[in-house]
Parts: sequence; C-alpha cells; structure tokens
Amino acid sequence: MTILSVLIVLPLISIGVCYFIHIRKTQYIISLLVAIAHLVCSYLVFSGLFIPAENDFFRFDALSRLFLIILSHVYFWVVLVSYSYLNRPLIVKEEKSKKLYFTMLNVYLFANTLALISNHLGVFWVASETTTLSVAPLIYYYRDEESLEAMWKYLFLVSVGIAFAFIGFVFLALSAGGTVLEGQQLLVTSFTQYATQLNPIWLKASFIFVFVGLSTKIGIAPMHPGDIDATSNAPSPAAALMSGSLRGTALLGVLRVYQIMVPTATADFARTIMIIGGIFSLFVAFVFMFKVTNYKRMIAYSSVEHLGLITLGIGTGGIAFVGAMLHTVFNSLTKVVLFLNAGNIHRAYRSREVNSVWNVLQAMPWTGWFFLFGFFAIIAMPPFGIFFSELMIFQGLLTKPFLLGAVLFFLFFIFVGMSKTVFHMLYTAPPDGDTLVITEKFEITHFVSLTLLILLVVLGLCIPSQLYSLVVQISKDFGILL
Amino acid sequence: MENVLSILFCLTLLYLVITSRLKTYVSILRAQGVLLSAIMIFPFMRHLSVHILIIPLMSLIVKAIVIPRFINKIIIDLDVKRIVEPSIQPFNFLLLSVASMSTIFVAAHVLSGYTPIEPIPFASAFSAIVTGILLIIFRKKLIVHVVGFLILENGIFLFGTSVAAEMPTIVELGSLLDVFVVVFLMGIAINKISSTFAKQDVTVLGRLKD
Repeated sequence: MTILSVLIVLPLISIGVCYFIHIRKTQYIISLLVAIAHLVCSYLVFSGLFIPAENDFFRFDALSRLFLIILSHVYFWVVLVSYSYLNRPLIVKEEKSKKLYFTMLNVYLFANTLALISNHLGVFWVASETTTLSVAPLIYYYRDEESLEAMWKYLFLVSVGIAFAFIGFVFLALSAGGTVLEGQQLLVTSFTQYATQLNPIWLKASFIFVFVGLSTKIGIAPMHPGDIDATSNAPSPAAALMSGSLRGTALLGVLRVYQIMVPTATADFARTIMIIGGIFSLFVAFVFMFKVTNYKRMIAYSSVEHLGLITLGIGTGGIAFVGAMLHTVFNSLTKVVLFLNAGNIHRAYRSREVNSVWNVLQAMPWTGWFFLFGFFAIIAMPPFGIFFSELMIFQGLLTKPFLLGAVLFFLFFIFVGMSKTVFHMLYTAPPDGDTLVITEKFEITHFVSLTLLILLVVLGLCIPSQLYSLVVQISKDFGILL
Repeated sequence: MENVLSILFCLTLLYLVITSRLKTYVSILRAQGVLLSAIMIFPFMRHLSVHILIIPLMSLIVKAIVIPRFINKIIIDLDVKRIVEPSIQPFNFLLLSVASMSTIFVAAHVLSGYTPIEPIPFASAFSAIVTGILLIIFRKKLIVHVVGFLILENGIFLFGTSVAAEMPTIVELGSLLDVFVVVFLMGIAINKISSTFAKQDVTVLGRLKD
C-alpha cells in the first residue's frame, strides 16, 4: 500500500501543490522530490525487493515493472533538467506556458503510472487518454503557429486513435460471450486465464482496433504523423518524455491484448499484424530520413524506426522478443540524450532547420560531442546497448531471411540518411565563413547526457542480472521458452 | 424500447448528414446526449437506485448540457460563419452515409446470428462511429471536426452500453471527464487558431510536413 501511495498519490498531491504555488523554484523542488521518490519505489518494485500486494485493478507483473522503471528513469532526468531549461531566455510568449509546465509534468507522471500498473483495460484506457491531455499543453509550449498546429493534430489524431482502441476493448468483452467471463470486468489476468475459451473472431477484431488505435500514440506507420509533429515541436524535455516513455505506455496496451491472445490460436494473426506494422514503420523511416530538413523531426523519425523494430521483434517472438524488450529500455535512454542536446542546439542557433546549423562541434563542443555519441548510440554502434538488443532481434529474424534482408537494407540506409544530416550539422563550415561563437559551459544537460551514455554502455556490456531475469520472466509470461 | 431509442439515435445521424447549419449540429449533440442517457436508464427502470443513476445523470449533464453550451459559446465568440461549406455535394454525402449505415445494419444482423449482440443498438453505435469519421473527413471547419469527434464518442458510448461491457463507475466517470477535457482543450486550440490564422478550417494547418 505504501508503494502504491508513493507511485500514485504523491504525484496527485504534487499536481495540486504545483498548480497553486506559482514560484517556479518551489514547483521544481517538489516535482524533483516526487520524481526521486517515484524512482526509488520503482527501483524497489523492479528489483523485486518489495512486491506490492496486487488486486483486481493494479498488478505488478514483470511487464509492468519493466515499463515502470523506464518511466521513472526518463521522468527523473527530464525533471532534473527542466529548471535550467525553463530559465533559458528565448521568447516572451513562453512565460505563460511555464506556469503550467510542472503541473502538467506531474499529471503526466500520475496518469502514466496508473496506465502502466493497471490490470483493468478500462482504467488503462482512461489513464492513457489522460497522458495525451497532459502532454498537449506541453506541446504548445512555444506558442507559435507550428506548435499550435502540432498540438491540434496530436490531440485530435490521438483522441480518435484512443477511441478506436476503446472499440477494441469492447470487442474483447464481446469475445467473452458464452464463457465464464461474460459480463465480467475487463481484467487482463482473468482474460489471460480463460483465453482459450474466447471467441477467436472477436479477439482478432479487438487486436486490430487496439493496434491501429494505439499506433497513433506509439508512432507505428501509417498512423505516425501526429506523433512526429508533436515530438518535433514540443520543448526538448517534453519531447524526450514523449519519445522515451509515452510511446512505451501505448505499446504496453498492445502487449496486454497480445498477452491475452498468446495461448490461443489467434496469436499468429497478432504476430503477423505486428510484423507488418514494424516493417512498414522501418520503410517510412527509411523514406523520410532522406527527405527531412529539420533535425528534431529526424530524431522523431528515428523513434518511428526503433518502435517499428521493437514491434517487429515482438511479432517475431523467441530471442527477438527478448531483444525487443531490452531495446525499449535502451531506446528510451538514448532518445533522452538526443533530444536534450538537440534542444541545446536549437537554443543556440534558434532554428530547427538542418541548413541553418553549422559547425556545432566547434561552436559548442560539449553539446556537439554528446549529440555525436547519442547518434552513435542510436544507430547501434557497439558498445552501446542498442547494438546488443538489435543483434538479438536479428538473431530471432534468422528464421525469416527475406525479412531480415529487408530490415538490414532499411537500417543501413536509415543510417546513411541520418549520418548525412548529423555530420552536416556537426562538421560543415558555414558558407559565409563566420562560425557562431558560443562560450559553452558544462551544464546539467551535459551531465545528464554523460550519465546516460555511460549507463547505456554499462547496460550493454554487462547487463544486470535483475534486468535480464525480468526480461526472461516477461518472455515466459508471453509463452516464450528460451 | 432500447431499439426504438437506438433508431431515433440513427435518425439524428441522418439529419446531421444533410444539415449545413452549425446551430443544428449543436441541437443534434444535445438530442443524442438525452437519448444516450435514456438508453442507459431503461434496462434498470424497474429497480432504480442512486448508484445506477449516477452515470446516466452525469452523462446527461456533460453530453447534453455542458459540451453543447461550450461549443455554442465558441461559435458565438469566434463568430464562425453559421453555414458549413462541405467539400462534397450534400446529396452524395447522404448517399454515402446511407450506404454505409445499411451495410452496417445488414452486417450486424448477420453477426447476431452467432454472437450474443443486440443488432439494432450495435448497428446504431457503429453507424455513429462511421458518421463521425465521415464528418471529419468531408468537412473543413475545425469546429465541425470537434462535433464529428463527439459523434464518434457518442457512438462508442452507445457501443459500450449495448454490449454491456462491465466498467466500474469510476472508470465511466473518468472517461466522461476525459471527453470533456479533450473538447475543452480543442476549444482552446480553436480559439488560438482563430487568433493566429485568418480562417478556422483545416486548410490553414499545413505548415508541418516533410
């Protein structure tokens, strides 16, 4: 009970406090304390040192524990850098947005935690809709035309998408017709228990609706545009939060329905759908990586690519599933590094266009190097974690050589497209010859980037036994025997 | 009785398709809110209790009073032109929606043969979902998109009641609150859009692309 109250009630209290206290520093300290408490509790739950009692509505199985620790981690780093981010002089219009910033972050933490630990699909639905509502004001932070458009599109697309997911959940209830579950609550545990009795046609329909609906939030092509616009126009900490943990929360919804389908004959159908979604996302990322002229959009497309890979890994099963779970962890941490440093570049050059950014390595060496290493991490260069998780996904794909060939082809060209952009930003001298001169100090964003990059290497080279056993446990829950 | 109410609900959808006045849209939303609450109360008519009445009452307040008022306020505040310019002929639109509705009704009838669903509320709910989406696709005004989204939500609400998916009261209240906040945020966004751009339709939202 204590853990549950820290995870859910504390953010709730913090929402109230941040809303009524308008001193930014107090808001920051309170939010940071809540983030630390949340992180400690998530770690206790993650490592199995303390397993809270489960009831009908909340559960702490391996999957929830993994996603909870990802959320806590990303959230903690984002809150840590937020104060210095808000204190940057940029434009006057932002001032209004800053008042609500920490309140919305706390709403996000509350809703997201609720979604991750919920066992009731109705609770999950309400909570994940609330996460959308909490990030919408954050997207509109800069209060310009682009961010307004991005917020509108994100709010509209994702709300419609989540409405579709609800239809999927209702279909799930329909699939229970004539079984012991008829008229019962939509609990994942009981549905998994009696999965073999469920009507396969409704189950398939349910999965399609949930997958397509939540794709708007995960960023699986072709439902990705709202997500791209939102992450690229949101302020960097919010973008890191969205790429790092919000997409994962939506993925959890799909995984829950898939978990119900695993013991039934419909599991293959779900896997095929996920493989198609994954490969199509890779294709879209491959095409747009050569077209984008905006570096934040480039990172957003990289999220489409990696979430596509994760979905593909889940669909493939076996060792690829394990790889996909590890990939979720590594991708989240890497995206934080990339978005925070992209934010630094945006602050200095006042543009998100690749063609207005020159010579970053010379002008701002700290940011430049961390951005470069973040880029190395995201394209799966060893010894960063993503290299090992991608290797596992490829290993799983060995049984499907054509698919593996296609994936490698897309990944190679995504790498080419992305490195063209990144190296242009970092190395090319401006045409008029005068490089921007900035005296850059070692800031908190650099500290966070350094810590996360070290963490990524350490996690990649010697994966902690707790993390590995948790991932193995998740695989067992999904019927995968290693 | 539920079937009669569901058919009425379907008729409001057809009216929605042929009308081109914003005021009518708001009245239709009101009517649907009342119908939905009535559909929810009817099965429990014999043994009413406070506990059962909470959700229908709340949805009546939110869907039939608060949200329509809010939309009316936006229309008046922003002085939106009261006539909607459709991007396809009204007759073709009617044809399209009637065709999809009949397909849905036939499909629901076939489905009811081997799954325990009530065909008429099921089909009405699905028709509302489809009509909402068609409205979003074929109309340009952003405020009409919000109406389309609400029609879609109404459909889903009816859908949930028609298959009797068990939801705890707190979840139902939470979903009502969510819908309200979504509409509220969309309203604020439309307000901002009208002060930033010259028009309030989708054509102004084309800056973000690759």
